[in-house]
Amino acid sequence: MTAAMNTSFEPSSLLPAVAHGDLTAFEQLYDRHSSTLYALLLRILANPDDAQEVLQETFVKAWTNAKMFDAVRGSDVAWLISIARSRGIDRLRSRRIRGDREDEAGRELSSSFGFVEKRTGADDAIQSEERRAVRGALAELPEAQRAALALAYFEGLSQSEIAEKLGEPLGTIKTRMQLGMKKLRESLKAFR
Amino acid sequence: MMTAMKSHAELESIAALDAIGAATADEASAFRVHRASCADCRRARDEYEEAATLLARDLDPVTPPPALRDRIFLAIDGQDESDNVVDARDRFGSRRWWMVAAALFLALWGWRELSVRVIREKATISEAEMRRLAGENQLLTARNEKLSAEMAALASQDTRTISLTGQQVSPSASAKVFLEPKQRRAVVFFYNLPANPTDKSYQLWILRGDQPKPQSAGVFDVTRSGGASISIENLPLATEIKGLAVTLEPKGGVAQPTNTNFFVAGST
Repeated sequence: MTAAMNTSFEPSSLLPAVAHGDLTAFEQLYDRHSSTLYALLLRILANPDDAQEVLQETFVKAWTNAKMFDAVRGSDVAWLISIARSRGIDRLRSRRIRGDREDEAGRELSSSFGFVEKRTGADDAIQSEERRAVRGALAELPEAQRAALALAYFEGLSQSEIAEKLGEPLGTIKTRMQLGMKKLRESLKAFR
Repeated sequence: MMTAMKSHAELESIAALDAIGAATADEASAFRVHRASCADCRRARDEYEEAATLLARDLDPVTPPPALRDRIFLAIDGQDESDNVVDARDRFGSRRWWMVAAALFLALWGWRELSVRVIREKATISEAEMRRLAGENQLLTARNEKLSAEMAALASQDTRTISLTGQQVSPSASAKVFLEPKQRRAVVFFYNLPANPTDKSYQLWILRGDQPKPQSAGVFDVTRSGGASISIENLPLATEIKGLAVTLEPKGGVAQPTNTNFFVAGST
């Protein structure tokens, strides 16, 4: 159960200040979330150079588009993650079309071994507490649901590609992903 | 393409898939039309998108290199702030002029917000659709290229077939190698192999007559169906290939086999 999660860990939003050109707020935004975004991009791309390029694009976009952020629709970190993930998956797909087999092999290898460059020192108490809660929420997801969601989220695979990869019927995969997402959505309420 | 009418509940379920980019083109299209007039589904889509970020927030954080921070701040320094950032400074000289401007601004603001919202919504939809189509196109092109190469390897009149048989650890397994010597490529189909553990990969080895050590020909995974196939390019000359064998190795493969428990093997 996630009874201990009904605490809001998300510090106050910095993006409205960033939208007004506040560089200090932007610095705080970077310090607070860059290690999460970099870990995500390494997971998607498994290539530090690509991950750093996309991380830079993400923060530049955050700076220029901060005024489009709507706090009612989600948190700072979720907004940034959505930008980074979308750009990361775009980069991954364009790499696939180039037939970059070696990169793909490296990506499989790296993600399997849990690519770790350097663990962050910025993982402060609030973030640790939040991550414990996130782990608790994800621990409630059955492994099969989690695996299907991870293939879509981190590898940008379609339902049919996931079904093929896992050797399961398409309908099973669709149901599994929908149930998994519903559970995550329920868990999210504990963070708000 | 015409799609069957979907219920509100079905469309809300599609929101979950759409939020992680896993909805099909038809589903995404039906959902876009529906959400334009359904506030509940718009909210559901937002919540699903934020919920999906929990997958990212579960990863161990990794500190980016310090130089990247400097690069980013240098990059935003070059941005045109007036274009991109709300300017909170009062640029109007006199209070009177400010009040006139404010009144004008308020009158136009509502109209502008409405227009911007509509344009933004349309742009977001178009952008997402283009990304989705580009992604699908890329995947289809890559798959087509792979299939064409495999078909060529299978259909050539020079193609040789080599059978690999199940060994002690997996007696019911087998494999067929379609080797096209001129192009030095092959397609290998595996049957009845046990599914590999998540931390392991199967690895195909070429045993060469001209080299003492086996050469890796690729790694592959096997699902519960027991089947798999791989394509191999740049093979050694056919006369140098003495045999092929498959072992189970750490995920991603290794430079040399770590064991001699062959799952399937055969000689040329």
